Parts: sequence; C-alpha cells; structure tokens
Amino acid sequence: MTTLRERLVTLLDNPLIIKDGVSRMRTWRAPVILTLYLGLLGAFGYASFVTATVIGPGERSGSAQIGATVFGSLAFIQLSLVSLFAPALAAGAISGERERQTFDVLLVSRMTAGAIVWGKLVASVAFMLLLILSALPLFAAVFLFGGIDFQQFVITQLLTVTTAVSIGGVSLFLSAVFRRTLPSTVVAYGVAFVGLIGTLVAGALFSFALLLRAPGAGLPSTNGDFHPFLFTNPFYALWVVLNNPNGAPMAVGRLIQLLFFVSGQPASIGPSVEPWQAAVLIQVVLVALSVVGAIHMVQSRRAPTPLRPPDATAAPVAGAAEDAAELPGASGAEVRQ
Amino acid sequence: MIQVEALHKRYGGQVALESVDFVVPRGEIFGFVGPNGAGKTTTIRILATLAVPDTGTATVGGIPVADDPHGVRELIGYMPDFFGVYDRLTAEEYLQFYAACHAVPHRRRRAVAHELLELVDLGDRAEHQVDTLSRGMKQRLCLARALVHDPQVLLLDEPASGLDPRARIEMRELIRELRRMGKTILVSSHILPELEELCTWVGFIDRGRMVAAGPMADVRNRVLVGRRLRVEVVAPDDIKLFAARDQIAGRTGVIEVQLVENGLEVAVEDEFADQDLLVALVQAGVAVRSFAPVTGDLSEAFMRLTGPGVERAR
Repeated sequence: MTTLRERLVTLLDNPLIIKDGVSRMRTWRAPVILTLYLGLLGAFGYASFVTATVIGPGERSGSAQIGATVFGSLAFIQLSLVSLFAPALAAGAISGERERQTFDVLLVSRMTAGAIVWGKLVASVAFMLLLILSALPLFAAVFLFGGIDFQQFVITQLLTVTTAVSIGGVSLFLSAVFRRTLPSTVVAYGVAFVGLIGTLVAGALFSFALLLRAPGAGLPSTNGDFHPFLFTNPFYALWVVLNNPNGAPMAVGRLIQLLFFVSGQPASIGPSVEPWQAAVLIQVVLVALSVVGAIHMVQSRRAPTPLRPPDATAAPVAGAAEDAAELPGASGAEVRQ
Repeated sequence: MIQVEALHKRYGGQVALESVDFVVPRGEIFGFVGPNGAGKTTTIRILATLAVPDTGTATVGGIPVADDPHGVRELIGYMPDFFGVYDRLTAEEYLQFYAACHAVPHRRRRAVAHELLELVDLGDRAEHQVDTLSRGMKQRLCLARALVHDPQVLLLDEPASGLDPRARIEMRELIRELRRMGKTILVSSHILPELEELCTWVGFIDRGRMVAAGPMADVRNRVLVGRRLRVEVVAPDDIKLFAARDQIAGRTGVIEVQLVENGLEVAVEDEFADQDLLVALVQAGVAVRSFAPVTGDLSEAFMRLTGPGVERAR
C-alpha cells in the first residue's frame, strides 16, 4: 500500500517540473523578476510605512496601527503583483511546447495527458510560489509591529497562493486551447482582468443597486448586504480579512437570494461563508475545471485511448517473431498503376 | 513489424491519404518515398499515434494503433520532420528528460544518456547546451532522443532534411548502425539517391496513394527492365560509339543499348556478368574510360510510377 509520502513523491516526480524549473532558473529573467518583485514590494511597503508614521502621525498612533497599515498595503501589492505575473508565467506553458515543436514528441512519450498538464501547472505555479515565499521575511518583519494576528497572516498568504494557482490554471488551459503563446497570453490577461477587476466593479455596482432597495422605496430591505459577486473577488476577500474582525459571513441561502435580487426576508439556509472562504472555494473549482479542460485539449492532440482496454490475449507481445512472408503483400513488391 | 492497410485520411475537404498500404518486416529499413505533400508525414503521424485515420488499420509489432496507442508508444521511437529542442538544457539533461518521460528508471537515465550520446557521436558534447549545437548535431541528438526507451521500431520523418553533405552521411551511417542493432526503421524522404543507398525495402506514395511497395530489388525490377550500366569511351565519336554498340548489342543478357553523351548506357538482366561486357569492349579495341552501374534506379522507378501517364491511367 502506498503511503502519503510515496504518493507525494510520485506526484512531484514529473520530468516536466524538473525540466521547466531548471530551464527557467537558468535564465537572466528569473533573478530579475525576483528582484523586481521584492524591490517593488519593499518600496511599496516602505512608502506605506512612511505614510503611516511621518505623513499622518496624528491619525495613526501606535505600532499596531502602523503594522496593520503596512501589512495591508503589502498584502494588496503582493496580490496585485502575483496576478500580474501569473498569466505571463503560465500562458505559454503548452503553446510554447507547440511553438518549440517539442509537443508531438512529448505526446508520443509515455506521459499521460494528465501528467503533462499537472507537470506544466506545477512548473508554472512553482515560480509564483517562490515569489510568495521569498516575500515572507518582509511580511514577518511587519508582523513584529503587531496589529495583525496569525490567522489573518495565514489567510492572506492562502488567498495569494490560491489566486496565483487559479490564474495559473486558467492561463494553462488557454495555452492548451491556443496554438500560439501571444493570443493565449493576451486572453489570459483579459480573463484575469475580468476575474479580478470586473467582478469587483460589477459586485460594487450590484451592491449599490441592492442598497437602493431601501425600506420605504417599496422594496424589501437588503440590510446593506454586499452582492455575492464580491465574494468571488480575492481583493474584496482580502479587504474583509484585514478590516472586518468578524469576517462578514453570510449564509449560502442569503447569498443565492442576493445573487438573483430575490425579495423577501433574509434567508438563513445553509452554512455561513466568509468572503475569503467563498473566494478560495471558487478558485479551487476554477483550477479543477481548467485542469480538466487542459487535459482534454492535450488528449485531443493524439490518438484517443479506447475506453475498453485492449484484449490481452489478442495483442501480440512486442518482440514476437513476425515473418514478413506472413503479411499480405510482403512476399514481393506491390506495384499499382 | 509495421503493417498498414487501406488508410484513408481527410483534413476538411482535402484528401491526405486515399489508399495507403504497405508492410515493413522486422529488421528492415523501409524508405518511404514521395514528393512533398504526398502523405508521408500523415502516415507516419498515424503510426506514431498522433493522428487517427478515417478508415483503415495500422499496426506496429502486431498492436493496432487505434486499439492500444499506449502500447504502440512503447514500441516506437519517433523523430518528426522538425527538431524542437529546449533551450538552456545540456545534451545530457535533454536525453535524461526524455528518458524520464519514457519512464526509464532513475538509476538508468544517466547511463542511457551517455550511451546514446556516444552512439550518435556526441559524447564530447554532453555538457554543451543543446541550443549551441550545430544543426547536424541537433539532428543526431534528436535521433538519440527517439532511442531513449530502446524502441524496436523507429519512425524517422525526413531525418536528413536541411543537413550538409557530411551530416547526411553521418546520419546515414547512424541509421545503418541502428539496423545492425536490430531496429526496424521507417525513414521518409524525398531525396531518392539518399534512400537508395540506405534502404532494403521501399514504398512510393504519390498524392495520398501508395503506388508501389516491397523489397527494393523487387520494386525496381517491376518498374525498370534490368539493371543499367554506363560505359564512357575515350574521345568518343560516332564511329567509335557505333562500333562499341555493335560489340554489345545482341549478347546474351543484354536487353538494350542506348547511345548517350560520351558513351553508352546498357540495360542488362540481373544475372548478367558485367565483367564479360568490359572484356568484350576492350578486346574490340574500345578505349573505355569508365564502366559502372548507373545509380538513380530508384529515381527512375519513382518517375515512371508517378509520371503524367500514370495520372491519366488512374
């Protein structure tokens, strides 16, 4: 029986992960992106620190306040930067193989479509995880100021990771759909923009619409609830984690009610979900769908494996003697005119 | 080892394969010959499990490609007509990567990479980055890549395309060596002299139809009458050439004598003793400059099989 460790080793023992990792880390781009990322994060963190301590000392008092402000700024900047880098890192994963003319050879190997997609996903996401990991000391330093509890810290990092993986997953799917990296990257940025900014704007507008349904306007009150569209947005989820101590949970029934602008008493059916939980759940589903879609696209590039396994008794063993004379047309030349 | 029967394949409205069937016995080098766009690559892609025929069957090692593509992949080594290489990997890492893709055990990968690099004469380039190798070296490396899992069958699509003469010869020798190692090899090309020296079996494809297939000698004999010898004469003039022709024509085993520039071209039966002809010419006082079999039989056969007359006959 295989242990969990063995399964993990099997999952990570994927030649594409090693090859792409080695290949990526040998370019000048890897250290430049890492430096740029940490430099930008550090610069924004410092600017936030200066704003909190020097420019507005009257409004901000105590290290906890400063810590919370700087940590929040860093978390938002990190999420933005990861969202910016993710499509570029993943959108060429499979289309790049096609452009390099190495895809067919990969398909003729013993790697399954699932292994190819999994390897590409991990290889793409690994660099983003490296970026996130490399920024941890920066967050840890800010953590010393106080104002942020450990749970907030963990959820912040989790949201960043799942956002990176989900954008990476969708970009990977697009790289399997498009033959060229350029359109795949452009569409990946478009999808990321719609997912991150579009849902935020739509959610805000719909929330405003819900607010207009105030008592006295002839419509049932929505109690100032936010529209569920915002629950899909990691930026909103991050904002709630950092600024709302009770996490703004909402029952699933109420979310469905608000989603369709259904009038009536607030429903309390189903478990309560906090925005970060909803965002992570949606991102996990998105990754799963993207991976399944990408596997399907990769598999469609080669001869399908029949659902029914080949008849073991009928299939000759490789290496079995085969006399050419037994084969039709092998006894001599066949010439057709 | 390879058997293809009545393959049909269309891409949209375009017919890629109309009727393709041939066999390649174990241990033979099969030259798959045809002009660009004839259907060679499509056929090879079907055998390599990268495409599915509309109708017809293809089997490798007795395994139908459509029923068990995974099983077929274990038997074949595929070298496409383009060679994609990864940047920033050394030649050894490159082969180790593909060894891993073919599930070669960890402990064997390094040894396999080294053995194959030695085989393709790139042993001293193991630590060189793949993208810094010359085209010929990359092509040999790609052949090594196709061998990482020790396949029984090699599908080589235009392996010598774009190579300089030296690299072509090296590639040819390499393919011969692979045959000596017991591999069955299907090699496609549209450069016939190249294949003529290499292949033991041959198949002609033209506009998606197989026009001839079988052992090289059989195909040639079916299409061409006899072998051809070329005799070049010192300071040729009509008198000398006619005299020489008269010496040859009518001898047993001589099928036809033609006057060509600087000499004669003689069609003889397969069993004909060539040296007797040379002796007869010298004894008759003909100053022979050179005496050699005509190469390019395959080209001639191909031209006859795919010429305009054939098109009209269809």
